[in-house]
Amino acid sequence: MIHTSPHNNLNNVLGTSPEDIDAGRQGSDRVLLMAIIMLMMFGVLAVYSSIAFFAESNDTSAFALVTRHVVKLAIAFFVMLIVSKINYHTLAKFSRIGMMISLLLLVAVLIFGTEQFGAKRWLNVGGFSFQPSTLATVALLLHVSVLLSEKQDYVKDFKKSFIPIMVWVTVTCGLIGIEDFSSAGILMGICLVMMFIGRISIIQMGSMVAVALLGGMLLLNQSANRQDRIEQYVEQIKNIETEEFLTGSGYQAQQAHIAIAKGELFGVGIGKSTQRDFLPAPYNDFIFAIIAEEYGFFGAMSLIVIFSLILIRGIVFIARKSEDTLGALLAVGCTLTIVLFGFVNASVASGLLPVTGLPMPFVSYGGTNMLFAGLMVGILLNISKHSKERRPFYA
Amino acid sequence: MTEHRTSILSRMFVVLGFLFLIPCALAFQLIRINYVEGEGLRTLWTKQAIDEIPIPAQRGNIYDKNGTLLATNVADYQIALDPKIKGLTRDQINQLITKLGEVTNQPASEYRQKISDAPSRSRYVVLAKNLTGIQKDEIDLLGIKGVIIEENFRRKYTFGSLAAHSIGFVNHSMNGRTGIEAFYNDELNGEDGVQQVRKDPFNRVFEYVGAPKKLPTDGYSLHTTVDAYIQAILEDELKAGVEKHNANYGTGIIMDPNTGAILALANYPTFDPNFPGSSEDENRRNFAISDMVEPGSTFKLVTAIAAVEQNKVTFDEVFKTPEDGEKVIHGLTLRDHDPLGDIDFAEVIRQSSNIATAELAMRLDNDRFYQYARNLGFGTPTYVDIAGEESGRMAKPYDWSMVSLPWMSHGYELLSTPIQVTQAYAAFANDGMLMRPYIIERIEDNNGNVISEHEPVEIRRVAKKRTLQKLLPVFESVVSDSGTGDLAQVEGLRIAGKTGTAKKVVNGRYTSNYRGSFVGFFPVDNPKYVCFIMLDEPKPVGYGGYTAAPIFRQVAKRISGLDDDLRNQMILEPLAEQSEYQITPNLVGLTVYEAEEMAETMNLELSITGSAGLVQQQIPMPNDTLWAGNELKLTVANSFASSDTTSVKEGYARIPDVKGLSMRNAIALLRSTGFDIEKIGSGTVFTQFPKQDQIMKIGGKVTIRGKARSLETVTIAKLDK
Repeated sequence: MIHTSPHNNLNNVLGTSPEDIDAGRQGSDRVLLMAIIMLMMFGVLAVYSSIAFFAESNDTSAFALVTRHVVKLAIAFFVMLIVSKINYHTLAKFSRIGMMISLLLLVAVLIFGTEQFGAKRWLNVGGFSFQPSTLATVALLLHVSVLLSEKQDYVKDFKKSFIPIMVWVTVTCGLIGIEDFSSAGILMGICLVMMFIGRISIIQMGSMVAVALLGGMLLLNQSANRQDRIEQYVEQIKNIETEEFLTGSGYQAQQAHIAIAKGELFGVGIGKSTQRDFLPAPYNDFIFAIIAEEYGFFGAMSLIVIFSLILIRGIVFIARKSEDTLGALLAVGCTLTIVLFGFVNASVASGLLPVTGLPMPFVSYGGTNMLFAGLMVGILLNISKHSKERRPFYA
Repeated sequence: MTEHRTSILSRMFVVLGFLFLIPCALAFQLIRINYVEGEGLRTLWTKQAIDEIPIPAQRGNIYDKNGTLLATNVADYQIALDPKIKGLTRDQINQLITKLGEVTNQPASEYRQKISDAPSRSRYVVLAKNLTGIQKDEIDLLGIKGVIIEENFRRKYTFGSLAAHSIGFVNHSMNGRTGIEAFYNDELNGEDGVQQVRKDPFNRVFEYVGAPKKLPTDGYSLHTTVDAYIQAILEDELKAGVEKHNANYGTGIIMDPNTGAILALANYPTFDPNFPGSSEDENRRNFAISDMVEPGSTFKLVTAIAAVEQNKVTFDEVFKTPEDGEKVIHGLTLRDHDPLGDIDFAEVIRQSSNIATAELAMRLDNDRFYQYARNLGFGTPTYVDIAGEESGRMAKPYDWSMVSLPWMSHGYELLSTPIQVTQAYAAFANDGMLMRPYIIERIEDNNGNVISEHEPVEIRRVAKKRTLQKLLPVFESVVSDSGTGDLAQVEGLRIAGKTGTAKKVVNGRYTSNYRGSFVGFFPVDNPKYVCFIMLDEPKPVGYGGYTAAPIFRQVAKRISGLDDDLRNQMILEPLAEQSEYQITPNLVGLTVYEAEEMAETMNLELSITGSAGLVQQQIPMPNDTLWAGNELKLTVANSFASSDTTSVKEGYARIPDVKGLSMRNAIALLRSTGFDIEKIGSGTVFTQFPKQDQIMKIGGKVTIRGKARSLETVTIAKLDK
C-alpha cells in the first residue's frame, strides 16, 4: 500500500537523491523547535537565579555567567540550525569513521584528560575544554542506527547482527563508563531500546540483560560496602523529611526535597530561591529543584511536559513518519538522549534516583554537552524535514 | 517489509508507553514531596535557612538611695577591615590607619602590621577595640568601604571600686557574677528581642528577614539602700584602719536597725569592678557576708540577753574572777585578757570577762542558750539579697561537749558572718525585733514604673523590750565608761556597742593571731545606724577595742557630720561647754607613751618636762579644770622614789602614788622603795592605803586594791613589751 505525496513525487521527478544537501522537502518540526526554545528560556531564568553564589565564590557576577550561558545557547542553536540543513543520510556515511575518532578520543581523555569535579572527562584542545563522551554518544547513536537499518534483513541473526552491534555499544559505553558511569548507563539503555525497536531478537537481548543483571547482583553482593551505601541511601530517603541535615548524597537529596517542598504549587517567585545556597551545583545537577522551588509544582511540571512533548514529537511524529528505518531509529536515539537526560536529572532532584551529576539538556548551565544536544536536535529536525507526511515510512 | 515496519512501529509504541511512566512517576513524586513530606521538609528549611539572632536588651542601672548612678552601660566600638573588598585602594588603607593612629594615639605602623599579619584570605581584620563614640565617628566620617564598625555594650561602674563588693561585677556576656549583679541578674538583664535572619552555609548573616519578631525588653533598674556618702566614709576609714594596724583585710557593714537596710558594706583591700580581672581573687571576696569566723566577745550579747531575760543575774551581783585571770573549766583553761578582780554584771560586759560570761552562761541550760543564739540569727543565713552569702555554723545542743556552752558564751565554737553579728546588734537596737537585711529598696522599669518595692521584713522578736532596755546602759558603758570600747567614743554621741577579739584558728589550732572587731549602734536613744567593723590579724595588737573601735569612732563621727538629726542632737548636748574646759585626767604614774595616748584620745595638749620614765607630777592636778587652749604640764622622771628624798628621815620613805599602775608594777615600785605590800583584788590599782606622799617607816605595809584595768592600759602595756 503505497501512497505518494505530491512533494515526494516532485522529488522523484526531479531525481534528487537522499544524499543531497537537504533542500527542505518539508518544513522542520516547529513544535519541537518551540519546545527547545522554551527549555532554553526556562534554563536562562533558572541559571540566573541559581548562579549568584557560584559567581560570588568565583569573583565574577551572575550576569557575566548568564551572558556566557546565553552565548553557549546561541552557539548550540546555531549548530542545531546548521545540522538541520545536513541530510542525515550524509551523516550516516561518516558513522564508522566518526565512531573510530570517538573511541580514539575516549582513550586519549583517559591519558591526557584534565580533571574537573573529581572526574577525568575533559580534553583541552586549543584552549577549549571538550568532553569526548558527548561526541561518542552522538557517534554511537548514529552508528547503531546505521548498523540496525543495514542489517534489517538478517537482524535476528545472533552472529551477524547482535554481536557486532553489541561490541560497538559495549566498547563505547565501557570507555565512557570508566569516568562517567551514569551517562554510560543511560547511553547503554538507549542503545538497547534502539536495538529492541530495530527488531533485534527479544530472546537474545533478554538473555543478555538477564546475564548483565545477574552479574550486577553478584558484584553488589560481593561488595558489602556498596550494599551498605545503597541501604544507607534508602534509609536516608525514607526519613528525609524528619532527620536533620544529612551529609553526603543524603544531604543533597534532602536539600533538593526541601527546595521542592518549599515551592509548593506556585513557587516562591523568580529569583527568590534560598535553597540555591544549600544545594551543590544548583545551576547544573540540581537545576530542577531550583525550578521547582521558584516556580512551584506547576512550573516543574511544565518543564516535564515540555520534555514529554519532545518525546511525543520525536517518536510519534518524527520517527514514525520518517522516510526510512535509519531515520526512525536515529530519531528515536536522539529523542531518547535528550528526553532521558532531562528525566533522569528531574528524577535525581526529586529523589527517584540516587544522586548523580547529569545535566538537564538546554536548561543546565552549559558546557560542550549543550553543543551536542543542539547537534542531536538538528538531526531530529532534519529527519522531520524528510518525513512522509501522509505516507509514513512503513506504509 | 511491511511486516518489519509494523514490528518496528509496535515496538516503538511499547517503548513510548513505558517511557511515559517516567513523567507520571515524577508528577507523583512531586506531589508526594509537597503533601506527604512537605511539612517536615519546610520545618527543616525554617531551621536551616531562617535563624534567629538576639537583639540585646539593655541591662538595668543600679542607683544608690539618693539616686546616684552606681552602675550603667556604655557603648564602645570595634573597628575591623575587610582588606579584600572591591574598590578599596591602598590610599584609603593608608588614610584609615593614619586616622586610627591619630584618634587612638598609637603609631599607625601598628595597624599596618595588623593588616599585613592577617591571614591572606582573611576578610575580617580587627584593628582597634574599645573606641569611644567620638573616635568611632571620626573613622566613620572617612567613608571608606570595607570598614566594619561593631558596637558593644560594656558595664560601667561610675565610681570604680565604690561599693564594689555589694554591686559585684559582670562577665563578658554581661551576666552578673557576684553581688547584686548576680543576685538580680534576671531582673537586670531584661529579655533580648528576636530578629529573624537568613544565613548562608558559612553561617554568616546576609539578610534580615522583616521587622524584629520580638522587641527587646530592657532590664529593670535597681535602687539600692546604699548611701554613697556613707559608703565612701566606711571605705575610707576601713582602708586607713587596715593600713594603720597592718591587717590582712578589713570588713565593715552599716545597717539601719529599724528596717535592715544596708547603708554601706565594704571590704578592704577592694577591687575595681570595671576591670575585675586585674585584681586578685581574694580582693573580690565579699568577707562581709561570706567570711565565717568565730565572733569572739561580740557574741556575749547572746549570753547577756539570755541571762537577763531568764533572770539568771542581778545587776548588783559581784563576780569574783580569779586573781591570775585564769579558770579551769572541765579541764580547759579559760582566760581573761587581764585579771579583772571582783566585778559586777555591767563590768563583766564592760571589761569583757570571759570567765564571768561563761559562769553566767552555765546558769542556763544548753537548749535555752541555743534558742537565744538561734533567735538572734546565728547558724542561719540572713538571706540578704547579695549573692555569695554563707550561713555560718552553729552545732545543735545534742552535739555539744561539756565546754561548748562556756566557750560559746564568749563567741567560740561557732562560726558567724559579719552580717549575722550586725543583724543581731540591729535587733538589739530595734527593741528586740530581728529584721532581714536587704540592699534593694525598689525595682523600676526603664520608664520609672515601680515593679516592686521592699517592705521591711520582721523575722522574729528575739527578746523582751524590757530586757534590752536594761541591757542598753550596760553596752553603752562599754564605750562611755572606760570599758573595752572606749576608743569608739564620739563626743556628744551616745553609742552602745561591744568589742570582740577572737583568736584565729589556722589548720585547726588556735594561733596568736587575732581578729579584732567592734559592733555598735548610735544614737542610743533612737538608733539609726548599726556599724560593724572587723580587722583580720591586726598587728602587733589584736584587740578589737584597740583596732576596730577607733575605726568605728571615725565612721560614727563622720556620719554624724552628714546626718542633720544627729548633728543637731550633738549640738544640744553639753558639747558647747566641753569646748571651753575639760576635767583633767590623772596621768601620774603613767609612762610617757601612755600619757600621750590618753591625751590624744581626750584631745589634750601636753607639755612634758623631763626625758624618760613615769609621770611624776601634773599641772593642773587630776580632776581639776583645764581651760581650752591651755596645756597640761607633766613632769617626767625615772622613779618616784628618787624625788625629794632629802626631807625624809633615815629609815623612812615617802609612799609613792601607785594608783593607775598595774598590780605588778605597783608591787615592784613599792618593793623597790622598801615597803611591804598587802594586795586585794587584781588588775589595776585604784586605791592605796596609806595615801601617797605620806612618810612611812621602811618595811611598813601598804595596802593596794586592784580592779580591772581599762583596755587601753592593757593594750599600751602590751605595746611597751
